[in-house]
Amino acid sequence: MKSIFFHLMPYPELPPDFPETHRSVWVDIDPALYDPEVGHRTYNAYLDQLEFAAQCGFDAVGINEHHSNGYGLMPSPNIIAAALSRSCGDTNIVVLGDSVALYNPPLRVAEEIAMLDAITGGRMIAGFPVGSPMDTIYAYGQNPATLRERYHEGVDLIRRAWTADEVFSFNGNYNKLRYVNVWPRPVQKPHPPIWIPGGGSVDTWDWCASEDLVYCYLSYFGYKAGLRTMQGFWKKVQDLGKETNPFQGGFAQFVAVADTEAEAWDLYREPAEYFFNTCLHVYAGFADPPGYKTPNTVRAGVEGMVERAAREATARREANVAEAAKAGSAKSSYGSKKLTFEAMVEKGYIILGNPTQVTEQVHELATTMNIGHLMVFSHFGNMGPELAKMNTEMYATKVMPEVSGLFEDEYEDRWWPKPTQQLSLSASAAQ
Amino acid sequence: MAQADPAAQPVSERRTVSATATAPLAGHFAPSTLPYRDGHIGVVELGEGPTIGYLHGMLGNPGVHPVLEELAASGYRVVAPSLPGFTGSSEADGLRNLHDWVVAASEVIDIAGITGAPLVASSVGAMMALEVAAVRPEAFGPMVLCAPFGLWDDDDPVADPFGTTLSVQRAMLTEDTTASAAFFEDPADLPADMVVEHGVHRYLTRTAAAQLIWPLPEWGLAARIHRVTNPVTLVHGAKDRIIPSSYLARWSAALPNVVTTHLIDDAGHQADFDQPSQIAQIAAAAFASPKASA
Repeated sequence: MKSIFFHLMPYPELPPDFPETHRSVWVDIDPALYDPEVGHRTYNAYLDQLEFAAQCGFDAVGINEHHSNGYGLMPSPNIIAAALSRSCGDTNIVVLGDSVALYNPPLRVAEEIAMLDAITGGRMIAGFPVGSPMDTIYAYGQNPATLRERYHEGVDLIRRAWTADEVFSFNGNYNKLRYVNVWPRPVQKPHPPIWIPGGGSVDTWDWCASEDLVYCYLSYFGYKAGLRTMQGFWKKVQDLGKETNPFQGGFAQFVAVADTEAEAWDLYREPAEYFFNTCLHVYAGFADPPGYKTPNTVRAGVEGMVERAAREATARREANVAEAAKAGSAKSSYGSKKLTFEAMVEKGYIILGNPTQVTEQVHELATTMNIGHLMVFSHFGNMGPELAKMNTEMYATKVMPEVSGLFEDEYEDRWWPKPTQQLSLSASAAQ
Repeated sequence: MAQADPAAQPVSERRTVSATATAPLAGHFAPSTLPYRDGHIGVVELGEGPTIGYLHGMLGNPGVHPVLEELAASGYRVVAPSLPGFTGSSEADGLRNLHDWVVAASEVIDIAGITGAPLVASSVGAMMALEVAAVRPEAFGPMVLCAPFGLWDDDDPVADPFGTTLSVQRAMLTEDTTASAAFFEDPADLPADMVVEHGVHRYLTRTAAAQLIWPLPEWGLAARIHRVTNPVTLVHGAKDRIIPSSYLARWSAALPNVVTTHLIDDAGHQADFDQPSQIAQIAAAAFASPKASA
């Protein structure tokens, strides 16, 4: 099993009363809350953490794309990837990913990933999410009714652009291009591996299964809650008569490792509560725009990840309003009820414990969900640099060696950069 | 395109598609369906007399629709087609931009047999009526338009009805939220499995409405509106929480042939749901109905 150090890059200094005084961390977060000095310091600290994870031996480092978002400071993951491409040595880079429908034309994604693949010598993994409703529909004004068609057309364009031997014309419904000619070309052939982050759309299961793409469930809510979603994907794979190769699956998980369980409970409480109560303080009205889901997903009653986060935040808010009304107070209109750290651990949102305990749970996650690519959140919330470093190092040195052999002998990871295709500057210089 | 005969054959007699065979809930939303491209459109038809058309708003044509009954009681044969994607019609596949929608709406009024007839239209339906009339002046007779989308003022913006929860959206659409119950609530006698489909149809209607007005309900109509020369009666709910009532004056100034304007108390965005009797009376006066002039 591959472990990918994944960073969300949250803004770490939202005020303690943010959930009580603000409607949403996403889309309409108050611009006045952003401090450029904090931003400068934070971006550099997070790049340090990604580079440190590479040094620790993670199989890859991973990043993603969000907009107008207090918990994700990466409107452009490719800019972060560019910075990492020169500083992460031989470690692979997972951009998970570029929200294809937001690029006009999406050819820009093909070009930038090709550039990154050239710089890294063939160590890129390209993720193509539809994008959350907050990012695509609200922050970027995409029409929900046409978003998915536009997205699929964009992915088709990128794949053709990477593999075509000749200049070609692309006559799409949303992209009209007389001359398509990506220059530079990716190092990896036919192209970098493609991973698809999903939030629970049943049509995305179908698509990934039939197109032989990696399906990644980037859940906030841990492996216990994510099992149903992954089972849905694997059933589609089985229905097509294909092999349920665990490397076709990816999952994201918060981990909190310390020398002892007691220490872990002590160390990770604050950053976990910051993430789940402040970073996920999303207004429910931004979570489910009509048209974002396919009719099949509506019919199946599948709830998206951000939809769930927003629903839970709204439920807490409503409980607070009721409580405040009962007390005759106008306060707590947005919410002071918190998701407790104990609940986060109990429900599996966070895998916590000493190295042995964490290893056991990661093993359980991987085997029950059939996951060959684990996105590890060892930094979360407002975790400070030293704690992030400790957590990352402990996972890399004490957990990862115990789980890295999972599935490797039994299955081929066909969705990973192939060393035989990779280039290195030292080899080039020797020639 | 040829204008329809005002005394067109009743929709029910032209029906060639079985409602139950093509869409499980079509019968709930619209008694009849007519073939349209690869699918169908739902059509509600009520009353007897001169034909008038009705183009629905964001709520589509739910099963209970008092304004249609009021218009029929005024002495008209009311024909109310559902635009693609809205309740009773098949999905809006292949409609990607406003041009696609204008062509589709133009086809729909021909199929429904209301081309050239007087028209009552609301919300997104009123916007589409104006867009069709701008390129096809003969499409409608006199029009009664309730709170059309299509204009935008940076200093007085139209509210976002989709960046909110379903319950808040409901409160934005009508002043009296019970007026939209036929759309937002499941019929008590609906079998459990059909409740799911009812929810899907509701979702698709909301999707179609969002497609027409997302992200901003302004597609350049102001530059075309001089071509809408047929008589227009403007109606606006005084408590419209989506389009400020100040837009009544903007529309009045922009349209070349406004007959009269009405600001209706105790009505929200879909005044045709909040105050169906008043809308019917205004329409009867605008169209000089047989009963109104009797």
